[in-house]
Amino acid sequence: MSLPVLKNYINNEWVDAQSTVTGDVWNPATGKKIAVVPYGNTADVDLAVAAAKKAFPAWRKTPPLSRARYLFRLKDAFEENFEEIAQTLTTEQGKAIDEARGEVRRMIENVEHATGVTTLMTGYTLEDIATGIDCYGHRQPMGVFAAIVPYNFPAMVAWWFLPYAIVAGNTYVVKPSEQVPMTQTKIMEILDEIGFPEGVVNMVHGSKDVVNGILDHPDVEGVSFVGSTPTAQYIYKRCGETGKRVQALGGAKNVVAIMPTANLDGGMPSLVASFFGCSGQRCLAGSILAPVGDKTEDIIEKFVEAAKQIKVGDGIDQATGMGPVGSAAQKDKVMAYIEKGIEEGATLLLDGRDIQVDGYPDGFFVGPTIFDNVTPDMTIAKEEIFGPVVSIVRCKDLEAVIELVNTRDFANATSIYTGSGSDARKFKYEVIPSMVGVNIGIAAPMSFFPFGGAGNSMFGDVKGHGQEIFQFFTDTKVVIERWF
Amino acid sequence: MPLTSFGSILTFAEEFEIQDLAFYSEAVKSTESDEQTALIESFIKEGKKLIAIVQRTRRENVTEMILEPIQDFVRAPFCTQENECIGMTGPDILKAAKNLEQRSIDYYNTAAIKIKALPEVAVALKLLAKKHTARLNKVNTI
Repeated sequence: MSLPVLKNYINNEWVDAQSTVTGDVWNPATGKKIAVVPYGNTADVDLAVAAAKKAFPAWRKTPPLSRARYLFRLKDAFEENFEEIAQTLTTEQGKAIDEARGEVRRMIENVEHATGVTTLMTGYTLEDIATGIDCYGHRQPMGVFAAIVPYNFPAMVAWWFLPYAIVAGNTYVVKPSEQVPMTQTKIMEILDEIGFPEGVVNMVHGSKDVVNGILDHPDVEGVSFVGSTPTAQYIYKRCGETGKRVQALGGAKNVVAIMPTANLDGGMPSLVASFFGCSGQRCLAGSILAPVGDKTEDIIEKFVEAAKQIKVGDGIDQATGMGPVGSAAQKDKVMAYIEKGIEEGATLLLDGRDIQVDGYPDGFFVGPTIFDNVTPDMTIAKEEIFGPVVSIVRCKDLEAVIELVNTRDFANATSIYTGSGSDARKFKYEVIPSMVGVNIGIAAPMSFFPFGGAGNSMFGDVKGHGQEIFQFFTDTKVVIERWF
Repeated sequence: MPLTSFGSILTFAEEFEIQDLAFYSEAVKSTESDEQTALIESFIKEGKKLIAIVQRTRRENVTEMILEPIQDFVRAPFCTQENECIGMTGPDILKAAKNLEQRSIDYYNTAAIKIKALPEVAVALKLLAKKHTARLNKVNTI
């Protein structure tokens, strides 16, 4: 049986890629190919950007409320197709179906938030800045923006940016991850039914050639990126060279501290979900567990026991708690980190390497894996593994935890479980990461707050979604006016 | 089968609401009085709304932050044999309807307690239990 070959979405048409190079899309649970994706080239980017550029003048003149109405219709269409999007997502990405549903929910929440454009995009004014002179600042759309998004959240991440960009009057090009292109294709099929004007939203499939085509294109005003830190640095630098606005969100090594006063009965489920949710493949995942004080042994015992209860399997099965990792290559990478942990002397408490899932002999599964006695200088305590592997770094007090958090190369997110308000305040005040959870395992800002880290986890000024996103997608034109 | 997550609780509810709708849609052909027919037809009409409520509850309340396992909750006590109505008489249909509605009431009330960490979901489940209680009361009046 021949596999479906995906197409680009340009100027409201489904078109074959100019490039003839293709790649395979896999179901990570079955280990089978499910589609073929074109690896586009600069010619494909040129077509998409040209369509978006052509659409811009009329779209920017469309009143903001009218632009928002397209999003209202799109939200309804997403709700109607909610399950279909979630199931497509799980099929190509592997995450458990509830996690896929949660991701689609977050995607829709961004559409909902963006419909507030008539409040969120307003400028400001001051009369009499000098005698008889008034000054006001308008927020104006700028032109064509683009998003380059990762494989771990195939639906949501593009929509941290896209709805805000277009509702502000810009036009858009999305490049989905070549590993998981089917979800965004499904989303564009739904969007196509809404009847946006031609060229307002476009999608180009591909890999590095498409990325470089976007970064170098003179008609692209700005780029939003989410992915690994090395790629985020590359994107940030290259956008700087070509004079583009950029927000590049990178990797993470998130520490979750457990203080002796923590309510573990209440907190354990969210703690486990933090480390093993999405098979550890999210930038907000807990990676280092840092228990403090005399309850450490008890904490570790309960944590390991809870991890053992996670049912690993095909994410499409409602009973599955944790799906496979996203690809064979990612599985190899995670396996190599486990080997590295053993080699460097950490104690392997729970080994997920040999997990067998009945009926899925070729899936890219890695079971929950936990190392104890990890030291801060070990590789598994420093590098982003992006898999269900936990490093336990025992800390003597809160100061040691904060030191651990602030000496990682990344500064994306961190959490503390505690019953002490004093400890919580000190922690959230002194840690560098920008997303902080208190008795919350996954400190995920919702659409109306900004999403992004600090340090090597974020390059650029304006983070994803939140109110500030309108600054990224608009230029504030200041008018100073006097009449005689 | 264990119901270990928010999604599994709502998905099971969706499954039995769909099965119940199918049952009533078939059973209406075998009713033996106008009163029974009117009752079952009202269940069919309402059944589509109940499915929509379950689906909307699942869609609008699932987020990454609440993907926390549910303990000690399984399908078995809430599985019924009332999915086949060939050869049923009017009284058989009413008896089956009582079982189905009582099962739904029990399930939603139990699920609301299991998922009390999500108050909005618990409210929706209690609402569903209330709707099924009203249906059961109607069956009992015939």
